[in-house]
Amino acid sequence: MDTSRSYLEPSSFSKKIAAAIIVVYTVITLIPISWMVMTSFKNVDSAISYPPEVLFEPSLEGYVNLFTNRSRQSPEYLDSLPPPKNWYEELVRSREMVITGPSKFLGRYSNSMIIGFGSTFASVFLGALAAYAFSRFRVPLKDDLLFFILSTRMFPPIAVAVPIFIMYRKLGLGDTHLGMIILYTVVNLSLAVWLLKGFMDEIPKEYEEAAMIDGYSRLQAFFKVVLPQAMTGIAATAIFCMIFSWNEYAFAVLLTQFNAQTAPPFIPTIIGEGGLDWPAIGAGTTLFLLPVMIFTIILRKHLLRGITFGAVRK
Amino acid sequence: MSVKKKFKGLSDKAVGWLFIGPTVLLLLAINIYPLVYAIKMSFTNFYANKIGREPQFIGLKNYIKVLNKEAIWEKMQVTASFMFWTLLLQAIIGLGLALLLNRKFKGNELLTTLIVLPMMLSPAVVGVFWTYLYNPQVGLFNYVINFFYDFGSFDMIGSSMLAPWSIVIVDTWMWTPFTMLICLAGLRSVPNYLYEAAEVDRASKWQQFIYITLPSVLPFLLLALLFRGIENFKMFDMVVELTSGGPGSATELASINLKREAFEKWKTGYSSAFAVILFVTIFGFGNVYVKVMNKIKER
Repeated sequence: MDTSRSYLEPSSFSKKIAAAIIVVYTVITLIPISWMVMTSFKNVDSAISYPPEVLFEPSLEGYVNLFTNRSRQSPEYLDSLPPPKNWYEELVRSREMVITGPSKFLGRYSNSMIIGFGSTFASVFLGALAAYAFSRFRVPLKDDLLFFILSTRMFPPIAVAVPIFIMYRKLGLGDTHLGMIILYTVVNLSLAVWLLKGFMDEIPKEYEEAAMIDGYSRLQAFFKVVLPQAMTGIAATAIFCMIFSWNEYAFAVLLTQFNAQTAPPFIPTIIGEGGLDWPAIGAGTTLFLLPVMIFTIILRKHLLRGITFGAVRK
Repeated sequence: MSVKKKFKGLSDKAVGWLFIGPTVLLLLAINIYPLVYAIKMSFTNFYANKIGREPQFIGLKNYIKVLNKEAIWEKMQVTASFMFWTLLLQAIIGLGLALLLNRKFKGNELLTTLIVLPMMLSPAVVGVFWTYLYNPQVGLFNYVINFFYDFGSFDMIGSSMLAPWSIVIVDTWMWTPFTMLICLAGLRSVPNYLYEAAEVDRASKWQQFIYITLPSVLPFLLLALLFRGIENFKMFDMVVELTSGGPGSATELASINLKREAFEKWKTGYSSAFAVILFVTIFGFGNVYVKVMNKIKER
């Protein structure tokens, strides 16, 4: 053990203690999330039993309730109906209810998708152009411009929400997909420019210079040489923008109501009989959070960069 | 750039403006214009729900009203205490976790990824599901607390004494990984030779921590706290869904109050003045933040 570095390596005992504490913390920190996922598989009664049930009979009632609207019916009426056609109808009937139609959840979820993808594409595209220019050219007032772009992120959303609300009402963009896509694009632009500039700074200038000596124009060199090189950075930036749009709540709740409402303002409004329908909310939450968790795992190498706007890299 | 002329196509200058232009224009249209509009409205008695009425210029009256209103200072105090406790807890726990994770035991990559999950989730949705965990009748949180010490029935969200802590707990749960990740990057940036030299000089582990580790991590920790400070100053979504500012106004942060004034009472002029005041405050923070960031980059 007498190597020159051995004293810098923590002892195996201290490593074990550290590992044990971290494992305990990880377990505790994951309890709320796991509990929500578990709740989504409970039935309505077991979700409100006390003490809370850790072991329970799994049920898809939450998911059925999430996707349907139901109404309570008298037993006589239910008896008069033809037998249920499928398992979920049967489940609803066993609660003395009938399905009256699909709920709004799917529509809200797809709004989140449309607005998320639309704004991500736009902000990454515009961000990549601006980032390249900031990275390669001598732009007058470069630092001021970059700071200006970053500072737009510091506005409390509510502070600009009223003017945007009035402006959108005049332009007919209120409660539309396009309006929300434009808004989220703008909010994400600062992140996209800063992150992508960092990634592009890391691509050697010589690549595109060589291409330009070979006869490419600046634009061709950008699209055919630089963009493919920056693909990892672009993908990471896109995921960050997507997660932001996906999670955004303040603008969504203030500027959308019916047509373009996304999932975050909708999930809290899922109400069952006599209060909130916890399994259904759990189901909505689970379906809503799942993509983000998967993306986080994909992103883990770039996480630090993303959350600090590129200020801290490994 | 004497070779520039040899290349075909648009000049670099033209490409530069072409590339930066759209971004700057969009930001001006959707960010700066609304801000200027808000500043303009802050000098009027405008109500956004009364469309026919022509707003009148009333000078600094709105600002004077905001700054003299006792309720506003109460909101600022609620916000300040929320920021103080969340930043303090996140600094301590985040740095502690980072120090532990830096011991590079087996599986620490996987554990780091798992710990980070809460901060990537939608704050509003997090707020919703914590109302379930905090439920005084069936909540898991209350059950676990009572399992260790029987306080009897208590209501984290409904009691004006506990509600401020309910939002501090959720915010800390959610955002401690943020400080942790940034501190971890700081710890990993400390060159090994510093510790080697200290070891040669017979510095104790404690001295090494105080004189090498802590000063190296500090800029990173400060950066993380400034980020969190700005975010928590603007905090809206999670708290709205968790307590909606209640009970009474026990958790009514500045942003929540702003939303009530602007979108429930529709006092557009007055709320714009408040928004401008908040923005100026945040901008102060922002300047400090950029200075810290630059210092870190210089290292």
